[in-house]
Amino acid sequence: MAEVIPSVHQGSVSELDAAIAPPDLEVVNMSKRFGSLVALDQVSLHVKPGTFHALLGENGAGKSTLVKCMMGFYRPDHGDIVINKRSRTIASPKDAHHYGIGMVYQHFTSVPAMTVAENLVMSRFDTTTVINWKQEMAALQAFMATAPFKLPLETLVGQLAAGEKQKLEILKQLYLHSKILILDEPTSVLTPSEADEVLGLIREQVTDGKLSVLIISHKFREVTSFCDEITVLRKGKFAGTGRVEALTVADMAEMMMGEKREPQPVEKVATTEVVPVLQLHNLHANKDNGLEALHGVNLTVHQGEIVGIAGISGNGQRELVEVLAGQRSATSGQVMVNGEPYAATRKQINQHRVFVLPEEPLKNACVPHMSVAENLALRTFDRPPQAKGPMVLFAAIRQMAEQLIDTFKIKTPTPETPVGNLSGGNVQRTVLARELSADHINLLIAANPCFGLDFAMVDYIHGQILSARNRGVAVLLVSEDLDELLKLSDRLIVISGGKFAYESAIAEADFAAISHAMAGH
Amino acid sequence: MATEAIGWLGVPLGILAGTLRGSAPFLFVSLGECLTEKSGKINLGLEGTLLMGAMSAYAISYLGVSQWNMSPAISPWIGVLVAGLAGMGMGLIHAWLSQQPRVNDIAVGIAMIIFGSGLAFFLGKPFIQPQAPQLPSFELGKLLSSSPIVQSALQISPLFILGVLLAPAMNWFFKSTRPGLFIRAVGDSPDAALAMGVSVKKVRMLCIIAGSFLAGIGGAYLSLVYPGSWTERISSGQGLMAVALVIFARWNPIQCLWASLFFGGAQAIGPALQAVGIDKGYYLFNAAPYVLTLLIMILTCSPKKTLSGAPGALGSING
Amino acid sequence: MMMLKTTTWRKTAEAIAIPIGALLVALMLFGIFCAFCGKNPLAVYGLIYSSAFGNWRVFQGTLLRAAPLMLTALCTALPARLGLMIIGNEGALVVGGVAAVITGLVLSYGSVTPSAEQLQQVLAIPPILVQLGMALGSIVAGGLWIAAVGALRHYRAVNETISSLLMNYIAIALMNHLVGGPIKDPGETIKASSFVLPDINRLANLPTTRIHYGLLYGIIVCVIAYFLIQHTTFGFAARTAGGNIKAARIAGLPVGKLTVMICFLAGSCAGLAGMVEVAAVHGRVNESLVAGYGYTGILVAFVARYNPIACTIVSILLGGILASSGALQRNLTMPDATALVFQGLVFLVILYSDSLYGRLQIFKDPGPKAAVPPAASTTIPA
Repeated sequence: MAEVIPSVHQGSVSELDAAIAPPDLEVVNMSKRFGSLVALDQVSLHVKPGTFHALLGENGAGKSTLVKCMMGFYRPDHGDIVINKRSRTIASPKDAHHYGIGMVYQHFTSVPAMTVAENLVMSRFDTTTVINWKQEMAALQAFMATAPFKLPLETLVGQLAAGEKQKLEILKQLYLHSKILILDEPTSVLTPSEADEVLGLIREQVTDGKLSVLIISHKFREVTSFCDEITVLRKGKFAGTGRVEALTVADMAEMMMGEKREPQPVEKVATTEVVPVLQLHNLHANKDNGLEALHGVNLTVHQGEIVGIAGISGNGQRELVEVLAGQRSATSGQVMVNGEPYAATRKQINQHRVFVLPEEPLKNACVPHMSVAENLALRTFDRPPQAKGPMVLFAAIRQMAEQLIDTFKIKTPTPETPVGNLSGGNVQRTVLARELSADHINLLIAANPCFGLDFAMVDYIHGQILSARNRGVAVLLVSEDLDELLKLSDRLIVISGGKFAYESAIAEADFAAISHAMAGH
Repeated sequence: MATEAIGWLGVPLGILAGTLRGSAPFLFVSLGECLTEKSGKINLGLEGTLLMGAMSAYAISYLGVSQWNMSPAISPWIGVLVAGLAGMGMGLIHAWLSQQPRVNDIAVGIAMIIFGSGLAFFLGKPFIQPQAPQLPSFELGKLLSSSPIVQSALQISPLFILGVLLAPAMNWFFKSTRPGLFIRAVGDSPDAALAMGVSVKKVRMLCIIAGSFLAGIGGAYLSLVYPGSWTERISSGQGLMAVALVIFARWNPIQCLWASLFFGGAQAIGPALQAVGIDKGYYLFNAAPYVLTLLIMILTCSPKKTLSGAPGALGSING
Repeated sequence: MMMLKTTTWRKTAEAIAIPIGALLVALMLFGIFCAFCGKNPLAVYGLIYSSAFGNWRVFQGTLLRAAPLMLTALCTALPARLGLMIIGNEGALVVGGVAAVITGLVLSYGSVTPSAEQLQQVLAIPPILVQLGMALGSIVAGGLWIAAVGALRHYRAVNETISSLLMNYIAIALMNHLVGGPIKDPGETIKASSFVLPDINRLANLPTTRIHYGLLYGIIVCVIAYFLIQHTTFGFAARTAGGNIKAARIAGLPVGKLTVMICFLAGSCAGLAGMVEVAAVHGRVNESLVAGYGYTGILVAFVARYNPIACTIVSILLGGILASSGALQRNLTMPDATALVFQGLVFLVILYSDSLYGRLQIFKDPGPKAAVPPAASTTIPA
């Protein structure tokens, strides 16, 4: 491929000819501390040339830290990176590039306001100052002709769909002649079929001996279908390695968690009455950039029912939740709660007992510099017993907070600690405590409530949501985690391109059809 | 005034002349702010920078002739250069301070307005009276008309021409050079820039300093071309209006040029009317540029969507 | 419980020590600046002290300047609690002053441009009512002036800093227009001005001093503002919206209404400062009303970290700087912009000091819980 992009030969990659196989990459006894926290403790890893290697572990196991050390973002406190049997220092992404290592990040690192071509040319590590666009475009078109996926060069990245953006990230690495690709959860924004397509094409390159891949993934399905070897981390330590063909999914899960764990069985109480609580009529709403995100959505959620909304992020679910939470105004259509028009004013929220568990709770539902107690009182501070006339009674707020901190096991030094100082899990508990402790809840809206949390916390939240449902609460659960939806929902709806593309009771849900609908076909 | 000789024609002529004479400060400051904001930082302090530029250019131009025996043809140009350097000094303070953790760039801008104007008034006190040599102009009117009124109206400063050329140059820089692309990346998506190994801090530092250099030049234009003297009221918010104008121009250098011409024209309405004898509501006409800026902001901004062209990282706080 | 006590004690110490440290550093930088200009810094410091705080007589001058500063500071401090950075203090003060004079003249003579006959006879309205009317007029005018900024922010997403600053220029142009025509006193030829309020309806001085009642206004309003922000449901809602607008929306708080209301209150404080200035100091409106109290008020709010009670103390400190400016001009022949340079320096250093909170070792909790794992875990990127 190198011959079609003559200008790249000025770059440092030239010593790695495209015909040569990817280098052998080893990490030996790497350690990294952040303050008092040991993120990596004597971790070793070996990616052999021409293999597809998976790096597994729970959240916080140190996977991201490890790859960031390999890419030169962090300087490890201890340990070596050995490339082709020679110890090397990688102090910056530029150094990593020099040795043919490139990374595709969990979050897109292309610049939305620039075109595909601009992003590709900019990513190159050479020193030309003036860009000859005529020459560059010719070279880019030649590159695209040989690339495993095609993208329009003149389109702004911001206008690409999530799947296309992810493809661009991978294309960028191929364009840069990376021989070892590090992929950090590359499929979290893709539909199952898109993920299969992308990983399949990369797998071909690996099989042809052109690439090595190190992939961070949570999805055992991807690991078993595409990977050759795995390395597992647990709490910052090396927990095992092996060939995929020699391991079962249960073995891998055990390596990750250190013990065999069965997911807690879900118990649902059958509901008898069918009482509609939330009704949406032809709801339209815009994105931040003024383009329409929701194109007329109709939905009813009943008492004692969990309706799950599945979809790839960016298909309108965020806007839907924001409209229901009162964070965004609908452009047309109607939201009804208990048969009355609902605009999420404080009065209506209180009257209809609507509660929300938004995604990213610190960003969406907490005031970071206000105390845990004040955050817990966000829904109640203006009513007795916490208020008397126009006065806020802080003693009452503190008293309630102490109770909730106890009941929901929020780990905080004091009720007066700013909530922004707590860990992600405890922020989540704070919001759960506030939203689920009310004596009477009518409607609960939850969006990706378990994103980025560990297994125990996920189980806990799932339990809370289910028990709410069993008490007769109507629940709208929006999630990007299909497994979570399949586990909890009574009814599943797929949102795609701002419209509902699929609906079925959970018993009849068909995985292939769901995947198909998510892809927007 | 002699303008009355050509009667009502004086109004459009006055506005045209005012546009050609008065838009350069808007142009330089808005291009400077455009560069700054493209990198993801706001510099409201350019009002102070403009004043510092005006004062230092005037002082150097005056001192060059009276103290250092320079030719009056040279000293104003040295003044322009020093104005730019003074701007860079102000930019350095802003760039360093606004990138400290938890420090808000808007607040730094307010502080820089106060500090910059204070410093300019303090150091400029001795230069309010004396007359400094001015920059030369191209007498465009001499080619077109024999009327002295038209001739005096159509004087074009080389600085203005420089600014006009700078706009497309900056546009090209953003599109077709690697540093230009990096600046856009830093302003739109710092994480992406970081992933490419670009130092966000350094890029912003350089952009803010370079932007302040331009604002300093804009100040030199005020004191050495038009209105061509140094007083404490010489800027009266032009730097600030230029900052608002960048929003109107959607962060596009070419559109900054058009917007600056428009503002230069709006500023000339009051004086042009006064010149033909309409001085009722003189103060209100002089407020026209402020009202216009406000109106334009009301019309272009919207709570429903983010502005197209706005750098993605604009207004975010340092961690 | 002991743990808790030391923690809060340390936080309080930090909150007091950092601004004071910043003021000292600014004073030092100012000294270096003076030295560069060929003045002896110690002489400058000494003169500032003796002409601002040296004895009761000069201290009264300081308090006189502190009175409008407390009020204009609230114009920045209150909206800051809602996350808005409003710097239209000067404009609101001017508008408030104009409104106060107009109300005052109408209530005193029955007309804004009284005839010679009307001037002979002041209407028989009790002065306290006239003053109340003037205060009300200035509160409403200043309030609406800044409420407009808030409304534009909320309903049109117009940057409130830029718009409020533009409004300053518009307010001054408006005042110049009014005193140059519609409310001009034709008898005043040197400086275009409005008619003068009758002495009886102007704000009196506190007994045995030359300090007018405006100081009392300032202190009372600051205390009320503190109470409003810290102890009422309105203040709680405003702080929530200021801390995270998305969380406020989820809680159903009326963000738009809060924005406009806070801005109205902010503007009315600055407007009241205008009333104090015209009713106690100038007696009428003209260019002298634009004395920079608005801009200094912004600085007061920042130094006080938006705390209304702290605003009163900081106002006295900065009022002293303004009061000493005359002496610096007379005795050391330093230009009047000296005070502005000093204010700029204080502002810059105070902003820098914001980045120091939580970073200085001596204010860190030495206890075993200092490195609570949660706090550390936030430093690990996802």
